Amino acid sequence: MTYNPENRRFPLSQHTIGPFFPPGFFQPGDNDLTRYSADATPTEQGEVFILHGNVCKEGRLPVPNMILEMWQADANGRFRSECDPEGDQADPDFIAWGRSWTTMEGDYSFRSVLPGSYEEDGQRRAPHLNVLLMGIGLMKPVTTTLYFPQFAELNAKDPILNLVPEHQRDRLLVQPDGEVDGVPAYRFDILTRGPADEETIFFET
Amino acid sequence: MRNIHTTRLYDPWPDGVEPSVPIEGYTNTWLFTPSQPAIRKPVTRTETTGPAELWRKLICGDGNLAVTSTGKWAQGLYMRVFGQILDEDSRPIPNAVVELWQANAAGRYAHTLDNRRAPLDPNFLGNGRVRSDENGWYEFHTIKPGAYPVPVKDAWWRPAHIHFSVLGPGTLSRLVTQMYFPGDPMNDWDRILNSVGDAAARNRLIATQQHPRDAGTEALGYRFDIVLRGRNATPEA
Repeated sequence: MTYNPENRRFPLSQHTIGPFFPPGFFQPGDNDLTRYSADATPTEQGEVFILHGNVCKEGRLPVPNMILEMWQADANGRFRSECDPEGDQADPDFIAWGRSWTTMEGDYSFRSVLPGSYEEDGQRRAPHLNVLLMGIGLMKPVTTTLYFPQFAELNAKDPILNLVPEHQRDRLLVQPDGEVDGVPAYRFDILTRGPADEETIFFET
Repeated sequence: MRNIHTTRLYDPWPDGVEPSVPIEGYTNTWLFTPSQPAIRKPVTRTETTGPAELWRKLICGDGNLAVTSTGKWAQGLYMRVFGQILDEDSRPIPNAVVELWQANAAGRYAHTLDNRRAPLDPNFLGNGRVRSDENGWYEFHTIKPGAYPVPVKDAWWRPAHIHFSVLGPGTLSRLVTQMYFPGDPMNDWDRILNSVGDAAARNRLIATQQHPRDAGTEALGYRFDIVLRGRNATPEA
């Protein structure tokens, strides 16, 4: 089958998930990126960490039932995908994707391993986490990209982080937050709508 | 994993396809929608890629919501919702994870946050998850959902609709949308559907009813093709 302009279609419009996303869609381990399923062997590559925080709307009110999805490279900076030239060498035990939903207090958490940095089109990408957020009141998902403070040199050269005005870049850093379950924890709180210098920085999709 | 490097192209959203937000009369959009414009960025590897074998994490079922595992039938008008998951070049997308959720025939969700005075159906949970086949096809057996009111100032009724969440080949092809039914006058008054500015784009969210000769006598049939963003830049072999 050949594909020509007559086969061209438009993507469907995005809509809100509304307030009734089924709790039954969540299973233990969905927010654990280090393993394919709750009973699968976790990856042995990379440094495990916890990312946690809360999600608030206007007025800093925490919101339950918000859905977060996280996607990232493996510990060596590879994605297990045909769209990565080194995708066939990516960690086969690391699914790199997880889903979390906020508690009645608006809290979320993920478990993962530190992503590696990698080269793309002659530029070096700093280790980063892609986070997508959806829920009531959001007609379309919002997305952001988070960075780690310990990779300051790589962050300074990251072409995407450099699209953010310089004085605001630190706002996309996760904050070291002690240990949870014996592994390093980082905190990142999300404010979907608020004063311009406090609202979370989101990227276009 | 095949050792073939492909590139997926993602064009910007066409005009009028994305909902225009916040929405007048839909209070919550004014409390959640970011006030600042999102930062524009190029499409890079981290967005064109997506999880391989996601069905290992998100376990998929047979898509039958109309009958419980113990053989009890839900109340309502039986229907089959089916279609193809496609990219913008009409290429089928196999192995997409397709999630569906909906209200019952009385317009109430089996969800603790839905306290509306309408009956719950003990035999209808109203959600399911399937994986598209090698030609991108998916199907669910369910019942036609009822309309329900949105309890805000200047309340309105949501027309019968079905929620879809689709996880395709890349994170930029991630889509959450809603399917509507043809010929429903409430479609014209729905603030959510009408936040999509382009009339053709709104029409694409309305399913096509199957002719009775094709639907048969067991259930009504509605076809709803789901087009995700993205095109494959690799020429056909």
